[in-house]
Amino acid sequence: MNTSMVRYIIGNILKIEAVFLLLPCVVAIFYKESQGWNYLLVAILSGLLGFLLSLKKPKNNIFYLKEGCITTALSWIILSLVGCIPLYITNEIPNLIDAFFEIVSGFTTTGATILSDVEALSHCSLFWRCFTHWIGGMGVLVFLLAIVPMNGGSHMNLMRAESPGPTVGKLVPKLKITARILYVIYFVLTVVEFILLLIAGTPVFDALCLSIGTAGTGGFAVKNTSVADYSSAVIWIVSIFMFLFGVNFNMYYLILYGKLKKALLMEEVRAYVLIVTASIIGITISILSLYPSLGEALMHAAFQVTSIISTTGFASADYEVWPGFAKSILVILTFIGACAGSTGGGIKISRILIAIKVFIKEITSYIHPKSIKKIQMEGKPLEDDVIRATSVYFLTFILIFVCSFLLVALENKDFTTTFTAIAATLNNVGPGLEMVGPTQNFGHFNWFSKLVMSFDMIAGRLELFPLLLLFTPAIWREHFSTRIAEKKKNKH
Amino acid sequence: MLDFMSSLTSGERNKHGLKIIIVGCGNVGSTLVEQLAPEGHDITIIDTDATVVQSITNMYDIMGVVGNGANYSTQTEAGIESADLIIAVTNSDELNLLCCTIAKQSTNCAAVARVRTPDYNAETSYLRKSLGLTMILNPEYEAAREAARVLYLPTALEINSFAHGQAEMIKFKIPEYNILDGKPIYSLSRELTNNHILICAIERDGEVYIPSGNFMLHTGDIISFVATKKNAIAFLGEIGFDTKQVKNTMIVGGGRASYYLAKQLITMGIDVKIIEQNKSRCEDLSNLLPEAIIINGDGTDSELLKEEGLEFAESFVPLTGKDTENVMLTLYAKQVSDAKVVTKINRSTFKNVIAKLDLGSVVYPEYITSEAIIKYVRAKKDSYNSNIESLYHLFDSRVEAIEFLVEKKSELINVPLMELSLKDNLLIAFINRNGKILIPRGQDTIQIGDTVMIVTTHTGFYDLEDILEK
Repeated sequence: MNTSMVRYIIGNILKIEAVFLLLPCVVAIFYKESQGWNYLLVAILSGLLGFLLSLKKPKNNIFYLKEGCITTALSWIILSLVGCIPLYITNEIPNLIDAFFEIVSGFTTTGATILSDVEALSHCSLFWRCFTHWIGGMGVLVFLLAIVPMNGGSHMNLMRAESPGPTVGKLVPKLKITARILYVIYFVLTVVEFILLLIAGTPVFDALCLSIGTAGTGGFAVKNTSVADYSSAVIWIVSIFMFLFGVNFNMYYLILYGKLKKALLMEEVRAYVLIVTASIIGITISILSLYPSLGEALMHAAFQVTSIISTTGFASADYEVWPGFAKSILVILTFIGACAGSTGGGIKISRILIAIKVFIKEITSYIHPKSIKKIQMEGKPLEDDVIRATSVYFLTFILIFVCSFLLVALENKDFTTTFTAIAATLNNVGPGLEMVGPTQNFGHFNWFSKLVMSFDMIAGRLELFPLLLLFTPAIWREHFSTRIAEKKKNKH
Repeated sequence: MLDFMSSLTSGERNKHGLKIIIVGCGNVGSTLVEQLAPEGHDITIIDTDATVVQSITNMYDIMGVVGNGANYSTQTEAGIESADLIIAVTNSDELNLLCCTIAKQSTNCAAVARVRTPDYNAETSYLRKSLGLTMILNPEYEAAREAARVLYLPTALEINSFAHGQAEMIKFKIPEYNILDGKPIYSLSRELTNNHILICAIERDGEVYIPSGNFMLHTGDIISFVATKKNAIAFLGEIGFDTKQVKNTMIVGGGRASYYLAKQLITMGIDVKIIEQNKSRCEDLSNLLPEAIIINGDGTDSELLKEEGLEFAESFVPLTGKDTENVMLTLYAKQVSDAKVVTKINRSTFKNVIAKLDLGSVVYPEYITSEAIIKYVRAKKDSYNSNIESLYHLFDSRVEAIEFLVEKKSELINVPLMELSLKDNLLIAFINRNGKILIPRGQDTIQIGDTVMIVTTHTGFYDLEDILEK
């Protein structure tokens, strides 16, 4: 394994985090909060460590898929470890594991919180919590690829490990430009939402946190009631943007370059629209009796549906009190998740589509056992590899789900709580039902369950395999045996 | 927003390179990617095989599209509207021509096609003109030409011609007890009467040096020098080499390259014997090449080779489709005979291993092709400045020899060469003034209208001014 390249990239990630950590300091200056010093201290330490790690440029910049996965998984863990320190040392979250859980939930854009009183946090901590969503949404390695000049083409493996979806492609030949285009689209959409929220009369700080929280499809709010207290205009704006950030970013690229027709024909986005519309209609009918007008029922249905399917996790109403049918739809949406190539989590629409197509193919093969049918997606035949990887993804997903479920069930909490807690963290949604419902939090779990769920959140964000690879003994055995071989070679 | 986005991408593009689409990812396609990607071009590849596309996009910073390259929608997906160059190097000549023709319909990009079939080869210039192509490549033909050049002067390991054939760069190895052994380069001009040559690169123990006058020559050094054809032969004769062309050649394998080579050797007056396994191919060859002796048999059979007189052949060229067979045949021929051997290697993967085997002359068809394209690409990227006339990679791409046309005034013009501060590891090999080759001395100057050849271990030169120390 190319350890020096892994070290170099992680060094750069730490430098980037140092720069990001300066932003809460700015907020602290603005609100004259003393907690800002803690952020500054961590920023300096992180920058220093990053500087040391990336001091020596690696000679060999060849990078294979396994290095890509390992680097990505390590980066995310280190990012979270450093990111939780300020919350801990400001004493706003006095328990280190709680702070870690909170910030993992931030970076992975889950939005599951252990805090019962969010409003008690300082502004800079609130901002940092929300800002981690923005960093994690598009991915910190993609950001690194966009700004740091790196030669060699094998860095595609980094993007592949971090970007969601069964197949990860480029928009343009150069990886760097692809990463930049993605970030520009991301940034512009965020700014548009911010401006719209300001126009709708939201306070500047709330508008900022809401828009970066929506952009990463995160879900940390700055109010204890999530977004329920804002005006209906704000709720509508946020739900539209949650929907937009759940769309495959390739579509925005196609629209920008004038290929509107091709953009509108994207199979995945069409399925996404279909699922969202159907769910909104279903839930609206189901909850009509609870709300005074159709408009209000529609608004809450639309907000909850877009919030859950894009895996954001804001809540405009306590859907805990909704009828069982509406809640069931929301739980199903938790698993479906957003489009591949968006900032959302979950299993992803494209995988669901592939699974459905494989299912139909299997059924037909019972009727015509000798028939041959290639599965197509977006008008192109799907490679067998992609189909296999998708099936394996489902199996792995279930496996991790079951294991985590079992481990958290050791606490003897009720079934719905445990089940939806795992579903909400593994799919990066945030809130679940019962004790982890929209008005509740994750604070009541013990440290072990929190660690399990932190693992689930990172696994969910990185689409399982990079993180699993990090814990595969074979990788490390190989790594150490090559290290020993190298040393022997150098001696001679 | 749109303007910003396009400036984001196009700004990058102007600074770094061209938008190139390569159709077909076989040997030549992947060599092109390998050589063009580090020069910063925006490359998109098209291939029907998804696994090939996947593996090459993993290794290089390029985009891959799976599909038929002659399909308009596939080309659109690869961004043909904004492409500067399309290179079609699939296995099929017809498909390559079709790719280029279709691309030419939708945009005004430059188009390069690989066309290998002898039927079309005779009509290359007609095809090129009528289809509006920029270049037609025929790696087998070029490889055969290179092999023929070496057989013309068997002392040489490799011969490249510059300035439309007026100057040649010849590579040879200093044998034992040669008069060059132990002499510094500056002493050559005093000791030899034929001294209108310039030694421009020396390979010793795997390292390549661009020598200065004090460089001591040793036995076993591989030397590249430039001179006119006449001077080169005179020089080689004076230092004790045989400079006659070979009289006969044995070729194993009857593919396209063999045909092209045989045809050229026959016109040079060399007797040709071709060994080919496939009966009907043998019959075709005997129709095409009535002067050649065609043997139907297994060219890897040592008994057959002996029977056909390998031991007494003056030269031997294995041109089978398999690199491994070619290498084994070369090693065998070196063992049993004194024949001059030229080996064709298709895949460059094990180039370093092959270099250590001491096979003598090795021809890489795919490099010949990619050099032609790289030369074109570099010249095009900088079309308003000095033009690159030709470019060769020497010593496994560690040295570049580039011929520049001087078209405009610059700080280099009319300055005696000894007053220019040139980069290290670089020298000016010759100046071609109105068709006359000058081997430059310190007092000579570069004039507008000259073509100048430089030899360097630096890569990525686009302009003659790049040679100055900055």
